[in-house]
Amino acid sequence: MSSEGKAKDYSLAELMAVLAAKEIKDGDKVFVGIGIPMIAGFLAIHSHAPNAVLMFEGGYLGSHPPVACTDVGDSVLGFGAPYITSSWRTFSDLQHGYCDIGIIGSAQVDKYGNVNSTAILDNGTYENPKTRLPGSGGANDIASSAGRLLIMARLEKRRFVPRVDYVTSPGHVDGYESRRKTGLKGGGPVAVITDRAIFRFDKDTKEMYLSHLYPGVSVEEVKREISWNLRVAEHIAAVEPPTKAQVNFMRSYDPTDVILRRRRLFESVDFSSWSRLAMSGWNRRTRYA
Amino acid sequence: MVHSRSSEHPLSKPYCISTDSNCDEFSKTTNRHPVRKEMPDQKKSTDKTLTLKEAIKEFVHDGCSVTLGGFCGRNSQAAAYEIVRQNRKNLTIIDDSPTDQLDILIGAGCIKAVEIAWNGVSIFSLARNLRRSVEEAIPHKIEVQDYSNYAASLRFMAGAMNVPFLPTRSLLGSDIPRHNKRIKIINDPYEGEPIALVPAASPDVAIIHVQRADRHGNAQIWGHLANDENKARAAKHVVVTCEEIVRGEAILKIPNMTALPSYCVDAVVKAPYGSHPWSCYGYYYHDIIFQRDYAKSNQTRPGFLKWIDEWILSCEGQSDYCRKVGKERLLKLAKMERAINRIPV
Repeated sequence: MSSEGKAKDYSLAELMAVLAAKEIKDGDKVFVGIGIPMIAGFLAIHSHAPNAVLMFEGGYLGSHPPVACTDVGDSVLGFGAPYITSSWRTFSDLQHGYCDIGIIGSAQVDKYGNVNSTAILDNGTYENPKTRLPGSGGANDIASSAGRLLIMARLEKRRFVPRVDYVTSPGHVDGYESRRKTGLKGGGPVAVITDRAIFRFDKDTKEMYLSHLYPGVSVEEVKREISWNLRVAEHIAAVEPPTKAQVNFMRSYDPTDVILRRRRLFESVDFSSWSRLAMSGWNRRTRYA
Repeated sequence: MVHSRSSEHPLSKPYCISTDSNCDEFSKTTNRHPVRKEMPDQKKSTDKTLTLKEAIKEFVHDGCSVTLGGFCGRNSQAAAYEIVRQNRKNLTIIDDSPTDQLDILIGAGCIKAVEIAWNGVSIFSLARNLRRSVEEAIPHKIEVQDYSNYAASLRFMAGAMNVPFLPTRSLLGSDIPRHNKRIKIINDPYEGEPIALVPAASPDVAIIHVQRADRHGNAQIWGHLANDENKARAAKHVVVTCEEIVRGEAILKIPNMTALPSYCVDAVVKAPYGSHPWSCYGYYYHDIIFQRDYAKSNQTRPGFLKWIDEWILSCEGQSDYCRKVGKERLLKLAKMERAINRIPV
């Protein structure tokens, strides 16, 4: 994929996917969930990391589907997959240490990268929360055992809290060496990718700090959305906008707009238009050779 | 034994006929569970075919624990609908990530407790019925016990192995064990490091949807296996729903694909499109539009009630539901799936 030709028209979701994809190295075994992490994984294997292996918790490994899909057990993930197995086997490979990097979403994230996707308690309790969320799914397992962990989050004050209401997926726990002492073998979070900035973690204290800003975003604007005294890198870098080729790839990989939701197409498309669009994507490519 | 009365599968092939096969030696029963004195008689039967209605009536009782097969694909959707039609109450669902099947059961008032890792409706929305139940006690409050997907997987493996628990390096350093007292963190007796233990799961019944099974219950799965081999072996009773009932010869052609041997299966039910709207590898693709519309209706309680009335309660059974979805639409999904995955015959 060409690196020249920066895109002018792109969405924040597309930029987040590109930034997540950049964290994937060639040859990595990558554990991805649904949504933007999946698009990031496919973008990586179709650009700078052709030998990366995507792992899906339903049991599909190394998939090369012609287009993205909505779920981790979707039959299209069987396309171009050299290995199809069970969930327990896939997770056992993760726990064994085969997985280099995992990408998870979050409802709340704290200064040590602990993630909540179980319940927003507010003044309630676990049994009687303000908002009950879907729960861990595979996120706890990915956060526990992946070599590196990427967290995707929307930058909002209510989401960036000093301590999450419930630790669904452990980050650096209480900072310093606390993660290792819990017995966790995976490396823990390396970055939090949001819609306005990227955060990384101090190598000693394991506290989150601001490392990259999106075009047109200021440090003050980011600090306003963080409910603790955020540390800031000495030299803050600006993220590169995506290239035209990257944007074109993602859009063609999501022909029904079900993941990127750029055009609100998916909300109203009828069955026959949807199936025609989906199949036009499938017919573009031939089976994995 | 009552024979399957469901309608022919639109993709049915010549070998899918309803006569006895020569698979007898493969279906010999063994005492798989040493603590159990006798195998349930049903597992020894050589013809286990039932209708969906009969199978749910016989094996899913008020107050029992149930696990549903599949994982965001090849789901036991038809069986979940039938449980709603038969208005079962106080069920405990033990599962990994049972998606909208569970959400529908919660909204229909069938559920007392869940032991799960995740519940949402595909990529589209949070599971509104789970939320309404936990946050507002609508239709009533259910108990939730959280696990992770690997923890849930290991619970079924422990059940399948007939051991009381299995250890894992997941769950450490999280709040999951703090609120779920059945998870124990101990120091590994060999090396002394912390390790989490998850309790075995042995649901009363597992309902697994597969592509093909013979009348004895040898069930073959293509695509991802999810945790179905272990769910079936862990459960006391197993209902297999399948796209096609095939002759034993068809099973013997590719025995590697047999995920569930007949000795752990109690009932075989022909349920074409039994996973719709989810995909079924090699048979039909994921009807995302149907699911999007479910997620939309489900934003409100009245919307949900209207949805189950329309798509579940006013349908006599799976054939009726398929007619309502529309033959043309189902055949289109089948055509889509064949463009990406084909099952070798």
